[in-house]
Amino acid sequence: MQRAANTALHGCAQAGGPAVFSRCFICRVTVMTLRVGGGRSVTASPWQSSRAYGVIPPPRDPEEKEMLHRILRVDHAGEYGANRIYAGQMAVLGRTRTGPLIQEMWDQEKKHLEKFNEILAENRVRPTALLPLWNIAGFVLGASTAVLGKEGAMACTVAVEESISEHYNSQIRALMEKDPERYIELLNIIKEFRDDEMDHHDTGLEHDAETLPGYWLLKNAIQLGCKAAIYVSQRI
Amino acid sequence: MASLLRVLRTGRAFRGLGNALTRQSGSLRRGFYGSALRLENESKSDKPPSSSSTMYHEHYQAHPNEKGDSIRSNMSYQDQSGEHGEEYETEEQLQARIFTAALEFVQQYGWSMEAIAAGAETLGLSSASTGMFSNGAGDLVLHFIAQCNSNLTDILTEQHKHVQLGQAETKKTSDFLRDAVECRLRMYIPYIETWPQAMSILLLPHNIPHSLKHLSTLVDDIWYYAGDRSTDMNWYTKRAALTGIYNTTELVMVQDSSPDFQDTWNFLDNRIQDVVNMATTIKQLKNIAGMNQRQ
Repeated sequence: MQRAANTALHGCAQAGGPAVFSRCFICRVTVMTLRVGGGRSVTASPWQSSRAYGVIPPPRDPEEKEMLHRILRVDHAGEYGANRIYAGQMAVLGRTRTGPLIQEMWDQEKKHLEKFNEILAENRVRPTALLPLWNIAGFVLGASTAVLGKEGAMACTVAVEESISEHYNSQIRALMEKDPERYIELLNIIKEFRDDEMDHHDTGLEHDAETLPGYWLLKNAIQLGCKAAIYVSQRI
Repeated sequence: MASLLRVLRTGRAFRGLGNALTRQSGSLRRGFYGSALRLENESKSDKPPSSSSTMYHEHYQAHPNEKGDSIRSNMSYQDQSGEHGEEYETEEQLQARIFTAALEFVQQYGWSMEAIAAGAETLGLSSASTGMFSNGAGDLVLHFIAQCNSNLTDILTEQHKHVQLGQAETKKTSDFLRDAVECRLRMYIPYIETWPQAMSILLLPHNIPHSLKHLSTLVDDIWYYAGDRSTDMNWYTKRAALTGIYNTTELVMVQDSSPDFQDTWNFLDNRIQDVVNMATTIKQLKNIAGMNQRQ
């Protein structure tokens, strides 16, 4: 959301930046919707905190509440796991040339995790009970792939980020199918995070992930693990 | 367009709230139920915007005598009522009213079908209406528990409001927990003689899932108002600890014969103190082992 707001400001500063202003009738917040480079449309409002409700709308019935809580729970688990993976990678490669690169990606994941912590606390969502497992598994995965060298770490990043992006995309599809307007804030957040994860994925590819011997095997193994983790975290 | 709909919905929801809040006197209740129900049934999404904590619990305050289920059944308006014409009362609401009336007779007849039959009779229904209860005694106890939980939530919301308005100091967590558990257990005092029977009813296999659900909502609510916003393993350990404290204190309470249950409250104090000490010790150990600065 921070980045969206910044982009919005830049868009306004440039002459002729396309922006549409609309007012929300309830809270009289002025909302700017503008097209950011790449054709995506982003809603930015610096006064977001004054809205009538937070990221998710108050659930109308138990099914919706369960669905939204599942989405938030698994996303929170995902960001937590990604955090630990980067921590593992840093533990091994922290002092090499790739250290700063991994640190940068880790910092972005930390921001994502913070955001989800906020959302979970605000909406009283139960976190997954498997967090200690993802703690250890993530760190071990990050460290062991990093031991294979920079290419190993990048291959792990590519695999995980691809899984996460696919997962976010399916969530976006599901929410869009149900009611895009109702879930607009949640959709924006998931879209933003998905874009970040895609950036990490591309960074991994740029830094010779594919040159790792056994890349295909490792990638598929990691993606299978991610799918299992996602399935389980939604329920437990 | 969407924002216009939102305005209309909010307006209707506020009217519904207003009607619900005036729903205090018994004889007028049914008329208001009807109109509130009709209003609620008109609008598509009926809960007022309520994700901020105070509004969430204002909603709870507006429906003090119903289980969550009956609120939801209003909204989805499944026509299982078969009730006479004007009051759009669903079966769940009728059951809730019968249970509330039956509570008066629990001291006399215990948590049983007889109490429900007596309650139904005071509402002018035949005692054969107990036929609609397949799990009578269990449902009666569960209804009572749900009612106690929502009363507690109301009280905690009030306190929270006072604190936010600066009219009261924030309590220490251990004091807050102690007061909340004491307040909640005191709701059992009028029924304390028959409470062992109620507890054993709750332990019947078909009642266990529901009683566990009520217990977990209770504990979650108390911790939420105590200020817990954790999103890691602490979420589970805190709730497990409080569940243990609550259950053991409840057991002590049913065997307590001291004046005003003073022994129970002392026991509660000690248990909470135990948990606090354990948490402090763990933190100190973690500090020593250098485990506290992770991430």
